[in-house]
Amino acid sequence: MTDVLFFIRRIPQEVAAAWAIARKDMRTYYLKPNIIMSGLLFPLFMFLAFAVGRNAPPGTLIPGLIAITILFSASSIEPVSIPIERRVRTFDRLLSAPITFHTLVVGESLSGFLYSLGIAMLPLIVGIAFYHTPVLHVVTLMAGLVLSAFCFATLGTLFAAYPTENVGEVMSMLNLVRLPLIFVSGVFIPLETMPVAGQYIALCSPLTYANDMIRFAYDGTTHFGPFYDIVFLILFILIFQFVANRLYKKFNQ
Amino acid sequence: MYAVEAHDLTKQFGSLLALNRVSFSVGEGETFGFLGPNGAGKTTTIRILTGITRPTSGTATIFGYDIQQEKLRARRSMGIVSETSNVYDDLTAWHNMIFTAELYHVGRAEREEKTKELLEIFGLYGRRNDTVHGFSKGMKRRLTLAMGLVNSPRLLFLDEPTSGLDVQSNLIIRDVIANLVKEGVTVFLTTHNIEEANVMCDRVAIINRGKIAAIDSPEKLKKTIQSVQSIEIAFDHSAKEHLEGLRELATVNDARKEGDKVRLYTDDPAAVIDGVTAYAKQHNLRIISMTTQGPSLEDVFIRLTGLTIGNERRPQK
Repeated sequence: MTDVLFFIRRIPQEVAAAWAIARKDMRTYYLKPNIIMSGLLFPLFMFLAFAVGRNAPPGTLIPGLIAITILFSASSIEPVSIPIERRVRTFDRLLSAPITFHTLVVGESLSGFLYSLGIAMLPLIVGIAFYHTPVLHVVTLMAGLVLSAFCFATLGTLFAAYPTENVGEVMSMLNLVRLPLIFVSGVFIPLETMPVAGQYIALCSPLTYANDMIRFAYDGTTHFGPFYDIVFLILFILIFQFVANRLYKKFNQ
Repeated sequence: MYAVEAHDLTKQFGSLLALNRVSFSVGEGETFGFLGPNGAGKTTTIRILTGITRPTSGTATIFGYDIQQEKLRARRSMGIVSETSNVYDDLTAWHNMIFTAELYHVGRAEREEKTKELLEIFGLYGRRNDTVHGFSKGMKRRLTLAMGLVNSPRLLFLDEPTSGLDVQSNLIIRDVIANLVKEGVTVFLTTHNIEEANVMCDRVAIINRGKIAAIDSPEKLKKTIQSVQSIEIAFDHSAKEHLEGLRELATVNDARKEGDKVRLYTDDPAAVIDGVTAYAKQHNLRIISMTTQGPSLEDVFIRLTGLTIGNERRPQK
């Protein structure tokens, strides 16, 4: 009985601790140059490299820009912050606190999640203000932004579990995954025009479902339908959370 | 109930045996010192006791809670001050404190009150809104200790609390620890500063190469090596040229020059006093001062750890 009470009493405390970790990261890392570089400028230049010179009206490229902006910004905070905290030993504070590894992973992911939601507003506003790109399904767009932001933030936290004090090591590994995702997820090349093997690979990418959902919210076209996009994004979140939790446990004990 | 109980703690890092069946207990309200040379296993022991590192074998409990099985319950009652001042440089002193309090689930009103109180005690309240980036080493150390106390722990782990600090920070920290002990807080400290352990600790454990060499009160440990007594003598002439002559005296185990004085190690101080007096008369030396000293905790430490300086080994009988 006391164990059950302890567990019940712990839930709001764990939520509060996760929120405290997220706030700490916001105060500490949001304005770090390398985070701005990889979270904001990198996806912008990547987008321009593909968008400039194409015949498509700029407004139609906004959903893709939002999707990769979320991918890069959400997954950029923890791969920078956690190796730095390992180096200066502040990460030990989190490891020795009376919180679970779940709380640590969720708290770390929350900061990347909120950061990317803020950054995603830029292409959203640019699309509406400069290219008059209408949003057909506002609720679907919001759900898509929230789910994909949390999914990619957890992906960043997962990679940051690698026990190194070197930011570059984590970023290299992460980019090895992030960069190919852009090309196999229907962001620049529509899924329908991809070879069959590519279409199968696309099924394994969370960016595919994020992009599909955001595109549906803008122009109503979809490959899987928003319901399956939501289901798969939630599935990816759960898998990433589970694996990240196991990795933090494994590498820190 | 013991505050800390360790049973046969063993930790293996690859081929290195960092801890070898370490067992000890620390009573509630006790100040327990953990002494040992670098790499002896002090920090590994603290990391196991705080649940950061899992032992290869053995168990540890904190106020009866197994640190591996009931980690969260065990951690709630402890404060941890690590060897490095691990503060968030980009946060203010206030936010560092509040963040730590939030991690330890301290209620809103209490954490603000406690933060204010601790920052005042550690002389940092006036700088509470400054980012820690500009703090001196001593200020960061004081803030680290304040962060370790924000949850009002019953057990405080201190890893080298005063290492390399300025006098002011040192005094503040020692004063705070003394007050905590008065309030009944159990203190587990590791230190290189043997005199600090001698003054502060009820009991000390000396660890060497992952094994406990001795556990007892500082005074009892000193009594175990009564043979390492010494006599400190100052002559009116330089003692340097007489070092070898004094070393040759009967019952003198070793002679060392310490500043303008000579220290003679012996297990028979009375015989050495007679010998030194005769030597002084023979060489027309005037004795300015002569004091006998019992073994220090440092002598115990050196004896038990077999510490050597280069090829030189401190006297052991």
